[in-house]
Amino acid sequence: MVQILQDYWLLFLVGQYPHGPIGGLAMTLFMAAVGLSLSFPFAVALALARLSPYRWLRLPATAIVHVVRGLPLIMFIFWVYFVVPLVIGRPVGGVETLVITLVVYEASYLSEIIRAGILGLPKGQVEAAKALGLGYFPTTFRVVLPQALHNMLPSMVSQFVSTIKETSLGYVISANELTFAAAQVNNQLMTRPFEVYGLLALTYFALCFALTSAARLLERRIASERGGGLSLAAAPA
Amino acid sequence: MIRFENVEKWFGSLHVLAGVSGEVKRGEVTVVLGPSGSGKSTLIRAVTRLEPIQRGRILIGDVDVASREININRLRQRIGFVFQAFNLFPHLTALGNITLGLERLRRIPKAQAKERAIQELARVGLADKANTVPAKLSGGQRQRVAIARALAMDPEIMLFDEPTSALDPEKVGEVLQVMKALAKSGMTMIVVTHEMGFAREVANTVWFMDEGKIAESGAPGLVFGTPENPRLKRFLARDGDH
Ligand SMILES: Nc1ncnc2c1ncn2[C@@H]1O[C@H](COP(=O)(O)OP(=O)(O)OP(=O)(O)O)[C@@H](O)[C@H]1O
Ligand SMILES: [Mg+2]
Repeated sequence: MVQILQDYWLLFLVGQYPHGPIGGLAMTLFMAAVGLSLSFPFAVALALARLSPYRWLRLPATAIVHVVRGLPLIMFIFWVYFVVPLVIGRPVGGVETLVITLVVYEASYLSEIIRAGILGLPKGQVEAAKALGLGYFPTTFRVVLPQALHNMLPSMVSQFVSTIKETSLGYVISANELTFAAAQVNNQLMTRPFEVYGLLALTYFALCFALTSAARLLERRIASERGGGLSLAAAPA
Repeated sequence: MIRFENVEKWFGSLHVLAGVSGEVKRGEVTVVLGPSGSGKSTLIRAVTRLEPIQRGRILIGDVDVASREININRLRQRIGFVFQAFNLFPHLTALGNITLGLERLRRIPKAQAKERAIQELARVGLADKANTVPAKLSGGQRQRVAIARALAMDPEIMLFDEPTSALDPEKVGEVLQVMKALAKSGMTMIVVTHEMGFAREVANTVWFMDEGKIAESGAPGLVFGTPENPRLKRFLARDGDH
């Protein structure tokens, strides 16, 4: 295993780069980060639409979220892989395909996190904003979202972990990421799949475990911040 | 200035306001007393349409609060509301809590809004806490920032819903003091409170609410001195020495 690591660590890390396209762990992180970041504005829009008092906004947004969450990611990957080229009239590479898919897919999951964050705020926050005379947009963007997003940071890190694992499906459309790199190494060595895929598993695990721990730490910090926040003593008799 | 005309409200089948009529004149302070659940909060929340009413009218000047013609956000800017739980924005400093409304609603440039906010903080004795977040303030200080936040909008009316009920006893005085000064400056106020001393000293009129109605009203001397309503008598006997 150590031998393999010594020979191939660069391939695991950045793929063929600088002699070919960047890949490996770097590409995995890139796709997960870009996919999740680009999905963010859509997630906010979906969450706000789902909480809207207007049915014509609420119903379609709810439908989108339920449909996406009710289907496996690999199906979306195939859809994007085969449909997007037809729509835009040119072939689309594996990386682009996966990023587009992640944007669609993660928007739904992230929107549920954001929605929970908004619903978790004390009712008094929106009331105070209303009482000042603030309308919907300043209330949402200056009062509600900053707090909801801050409180949901740990969940978003967890979602990033899920996204990292999901990028491994990019292998099936030849997106040049970590799993793809491992498969390349395996193909060259031919006889040592156990070690190669063991190494792959270790890499994913170390990364995801570190991030999950960070999320837990963040969660504790935010909880203690809020603990010093609002305290409502019992009303006097 | 504020007129309640036969105001009725239901929460489902619960008749929370069962025909409230009364008037608060400009520059006067009305204190609302009453047992828990009698509808005090609902009544003053209805004044800024935080709760809609189903029957009757509430008039601010000659504007019907329930009217769909009016811009409710405009109207709310004319009415300050102070909550029992403060409801400060925890992600903003004391200053940020106050400048938010000034910048977004009054369209005042940042530097000027900041200046104005510091004035308001000074008025409640907290000029030195401008850059402190609510979590680092005591309850009494939080409530004073909340009052400053409301005052910064230059309201014609201030509504208080049990502003001192969530405070440690030794912090009650500092908040009441700010409210007394405000009353003296001629602010029109409705104050829901259990602080009898405040009612006696500051109120022009006391309303005793019971089961969604104003069961007795009058000058504090009368209401406290010669109460007629039997429930009010019992209420005062239990609560009177606060
Ligand atoms: N959002 C709501 N939904 C249903 N019922 C409510 C709601 N808000 C208040 N109520 C009920 O309406 C009644 C009046 O409530 P309100 O808060 O106005 O009373 P209050 O006089 O302010 O009491 P307290 O002294 O406890 O604050 C109570 O029975 C209460 O349970
Ligand atoms: Mg109340």
